[in-house]
Amino acid sequence: MFDHGQPSYADVNKDILSTVLETGPRYWLLLGGTMSLAGIFFFMPWIYQLYVGVGAAGMNRNAVWGTYLSNFIFWIGLSHSGTLLSAVLHITNSPWRKSIYRSAEAMTLFSLMTAALFVMVHVGRVWFVHWSFPIPNQMGLWPNFRSPLMFDVMAITTYLTASSIFIYMGSVPDFAAVRDASTGIRRRLYTIFSFGWRGTAREWHTLGWAYTFFAVFVIPLAVSVHSIVSWDFALSAVPGLHHTIFAPYFVTGAIYSGTAGIVTVMYCLRKFLHFERYIGQVHLDSLGKLLILLSLIWSYINILELFSAWYGGTSLELEATKFRLFGFYAPLYWEMILFCAFVPLLMLFNKIRLSWNKMLVISILINIGMLTERFIIVATSQPRKFLPDAFGFYLPSWIEISITVGSFGIFATLFLIFIKWVPSISLYEVKETLNPLRRDT
Amino acid sequence: MAILGTFAYEEDFLAAAKNLTASGFDNISLLSPVPLEEAQEVLGLDKSPVRHFSLAGAIIGAISGFAMAAGTALVFILPTGGRAIITIPPYLIITYEMTILFGVLFTLLGFHFVSGLPAWRDKPYLSSAGVDKFVVVVEGVAAEQVARADAIIRDAGAEEIKHVEDGQ
Repeated sequence: MFDHGQPSYADVNKDILSTVLETGPRYWLLLGGTMSLAGIFFFMPWIYQLYVGVGAAGMNRNAVWGTYLSNFIFWIGLSHSGTLLSAVLHITNSPWRKSIYRSAEAMTLFSLMTAALFVMVHVGRVWFVHWSFPIPNQMGLWPNFRSPLMFDVMAITTYLTASSIFIYMGSVPDFAAVRDASTGIRRRLYTIFSFGWRGTAREWHTLGWAYTFFAVFVIPLAVSVHSIVSWDFALSAVPGLHHTIFAPYFVTGAIYSGTAGIVTVMYCLRKFLHFERYIGQVHLDSLGKLLILLSLIWSYINILELFSAWYGGTSLELEATKFRLFGFYAPLYWEMILFCAFVPLLMLFNKIRLSWNKMLVISILINIGMLTERFIIVATSQPRKFLPDAFGFYLPSWIEISITVGSFGIFATLFLIFIKWVPSISLYEVKETLNPLRRDT
Repeated sequence: MAILGTFAYEEDFLAAAKNLTASGFDNISLLSPVPLEEAQEVLGLDKSPVRHFSLAGAIIGAISGFAMAAGTALVFILPTGGRAIITIPPYLIITYEMTILFGVLFTLLGFHFVSGLPAWRDKPYLSSAGVDKFVVVVEGVAAEQVARADAIIRDAGAEEIKHVEDGQ
């Protein structure tokens, strides 16, 4: 489990808490960079769009969905591996989860927040967004719960709430450790965060039960969230979107892209927070094998999608498929296939799967492929409906491209703030993987 | 009076806890840096009542989820293509999400209720219990029982024994 020898319990506290308690200039520089990226590339263009109207984006009459929605799916997808993987591995009692799950769960939370921002950017008049919640009002107006968009609102709100509680409750014992290692205002703050945790047998017992129940609730929830996102598309009768396979397709794609995201985040944590001792070859190997499995399932579903269109034989489906494979966006389609179906097969070689640098490159390529996949779903189906006079064409404007780039700044900023407030590796769960403190060990 | 005994080893800590409970000390807390099943067994902690909260939350969530979807449809009638106003399949999705939402929220409530947290009032505690030591805390010890409790803790192999007034 540990590449550089097993640490002692005290080492675990010292190594992990130092990332919260000590802050160097490199951190501030990085935080300044990501905040600037978010401010300049995301918020300034958004403010401009709010001022001139949503027409500033490249969406038009026949292509009313664009990059904002494809980015929304991408970020929702990226959120999937964190909490889901953590919950599944908790239930199955997999020890390799313990060093990586906290950051993976944080990834879930911040990806979801970024995704929610894209909905607000997409809707244009963001000041009416509260209308999508069932809030009593003087107009007697209520949301239409038959709409898949309302399924989305409910699913994402639930997922955000459950993921926040899941990560917070798992962090309570570690907040107590930060409290004990700090003084002054920080100590008072962490006393509040930790609820006065002492680590009594009763507290551990209750946390264990509650955490398992959280995990049990979160697993079907995560599956339902991306299924529901897929129904935003599949419940429409648009050729290229109206597939029963869409729910498993989206869920698999989400876990796939999220797992690749975990590899990227783990690389950064290892490199910049010096967690080489805790995040090692065993994690890389397990994540690599999981990625191979997911890439094969993803490829199978893609082949099946083509097969259904061919076997169904309806001219509309065949036309939509032909446009996807050989039309204007065909280079993007084949780029997606290359990055998501073929490149991951390189991980079959141990030499590649056990190399952090190579895995970083593969994980980034997978996510570029997955971002493209979401763009293709939106751009090649919705503007190609039924009759040629309803055909539209979509290309993102500079505002949409800028907001897409800026969203990575938002995610990175939130993550950087997180690692300064919460131990990014769970102290007590790592200690559980060490030799117990017994006389014979 | 509260007595805190610090142990370096798990088995000594558990032995002290067992002997203390066998000797009739019942206000005992066992502090450890990691969850220990044996410590929970010593205190007779079996199935947690948290599970009742989870179940109650899930049931309340399911009922209120369906009620919300159906109720809002009835007060704001939106006929769509001759379909029924209360449509079961889409409302089951809302019901499903609300089941999980309330299940999670009630589990959180259950955690706080059962664990007694937040506990802002100072309780006997040693920060080494959050690092690599095990601490037995016996609270509410009568003056004439202190020596006996001390002896049990010391005999089990405690590294250090500390006395504090209750509530400190």
